[in-house]
Amino acid sequence: MDDLQHGVAEAFRLLVTGDPELYQIIARTLAISTVATALAMLAGIPLGYGLARGRFPGRTVLLSAVNTGMGVPPVVVGLVVWLLLSRSGPFGSLGLIYTKQAMVLAQFVIATPLVVGFTAASVQSLPVELPDLLYTLGAGRLRRLWIVAGEAQLGLLAAIMAGFGAVISEVGASMTVGGNLRGSTRVLTTAIVTETGRGNLPVALALGLLLLALAFVVNALLTIVQQRQRS
Amino acid sequence: MDVSVADLQFTRDGRSVLQIPALTFPSGTTTAVFGPNGSGKTTLLRLIAGLERPSRGQVRLGDVPVRQDKAARRCIGMAFQTAVFLRGSVRHNLDIALRLREVSASDRRSRIEEAVRECGVAHLLDRPARHLSGGEAQRVNLARALALRAPVTLLDEPLAGIDRSARTQLLADLPRLLATFAATTILVTHDREEAFRLADRLVVIIAGGVKAAGVKSSVYARPPDRETAELLGYTVLPANGRVVAIPPSSLRPGEGSLTFMLAVEDVIDMGNHLHVIGTIEGERVDLRLPASMAPPSAGSNLKVHAESNIVLLQG
Repeated sequence: MDDLQHGVAEAFRLLVTGDPELYQIIARTLAISTVATALAMLAGIPLGYGLARGRFPGRTVLLSAVNTGMGVPPVVVGLVVWLLLSRSGPFGSLGLIYTKQAMVLAQFVIATPLVVGFTAASVQSLPVELPDLLYTLGAGRLRRLWIVAGEAQLGLLAAIMAGFGAVISEVGASMTVGGNLRGSTRVLTTAIVTETGRGNLPVALALGLLLLALAFVVNALLTIVQQRQRS
Repeated sequence: MDVSVADLQFTRDGRSVLQIPALTFPSGTTTAVFGPNGSGKTTLLRLIAGLERPSRGQVRLGDVPVRQDKAARRCIGMAFQTAVFLRGSVRHNLDIALRLREVSASDRRSRIEEAVRECGVAHLLDRPARHLSGGEAQRVNLARALALRAPVTLLDEPLAGIDRSARTQLLADLPRLLATFAATTILVTHDREEAFRLADRLVVIIAGGVKAAGVKSSVYARPPDRETAELLGYTVLPANGRVVAIPPSSLRPGEGSLTFMLAVEDVIDMGNHLHVIGTIEGERVDLRLPASMAPPSAGSNLKVHAESNIVLLQG
């Protein structure tokens, strides 16, 4: 209990004193996870739509793969991305290992199946005739996707929340491909691991509380938008 | 605008669903595509709308193949069997349909007002479209398709899923609405009454093939086979080594030139008439008798005859 109180007090102190390193870590955490989630949306929403509406051989296998991907441990994703980007890996020459770009890539891989899965589920819950109706009204492919996405926006916002929630809170992939380099690739989760390892529990706890607060604020904003749409 | 089908074949999962060598829906007519469930009626409508790609052959609107020409697809207004709406009001749903057809804002307003007034749903304009009752939704669905004022209007089971009184009213209103808004109309139905009341031409489809097509009186007068005759309401019976199709209500009690023995199974007093259920040589027959007549008892035999409009069938 003392540790918790100490942690809350430390969190306030770090925020109020304007610790520049902490603000950098928060900004970096938000930037990496936001970019990864945005890229996952760009790829995942059309893919989820295609999976929900398409009729092609192997669709069920693909859906099963996506559903499995929704539960893959981030550390495994991190390991695979590390193997691809490490100096001896097939993309080692790009020099991306232990960079923010590598972390974005790993988080993109984690978030995409979540966005695809949630999108497919929300599009499948719409009337099957909706895209057909839009087609007969003369809407082109992109226009149909846009209108259907608008109709499925409650589910799509859930997809964004799930994707963002997964990547901002993961530690395994970020640690493996980012390397937790101070001033460069350290994010809130990896910083917590570092501080815990050092036995600096109040600071670790404070960072954990900040991470929770950050995730809460982002999700609260998305939830407000979602519930406004619902009403 | 004529709608024509040439050498059309559609297969699904390796199974032939529809095969039509040639068929034309003449401009300015209302045609009912009539057949039992699963016969391929809706598939034909979807092929005409360009929603399905034919395995062979093509559908043409005028001279243009529908699948290859986006402009041709814009010549079609379609009301699906299930009324599907976007979130938002009835007005929003009609407006977006017209916006997708690139109708100007002022035209949209007047077209929406006219369509909802004529379809009797003007009072629903600001209601959420997804909260309408079955009958209301079907009328709004129709209003949306008609507001497009497309040269070709496709209606898939326009009276399906609504209660009896709403159906009766819409069935009475539809001919006027189609005359006001639609040029060439193709409607799909499995209901004989709907087909005959709404259309001036019939296309009978059974098991993916066209059995009969043409003006409804000629299609009705000459059913080509037993299945078509039964679908059109005829009672099909064996008689002296031949097969005859007897029109509804043409069987009468008593003897005549063509007499049958009806084995009575049940008699239901319908108030203003007696409904007799029985069999003639194993074929189920429904017979209407005047209420004043002494009801035959179940298990007895009753002589019945057919006099007029009997059709001799092949085989």
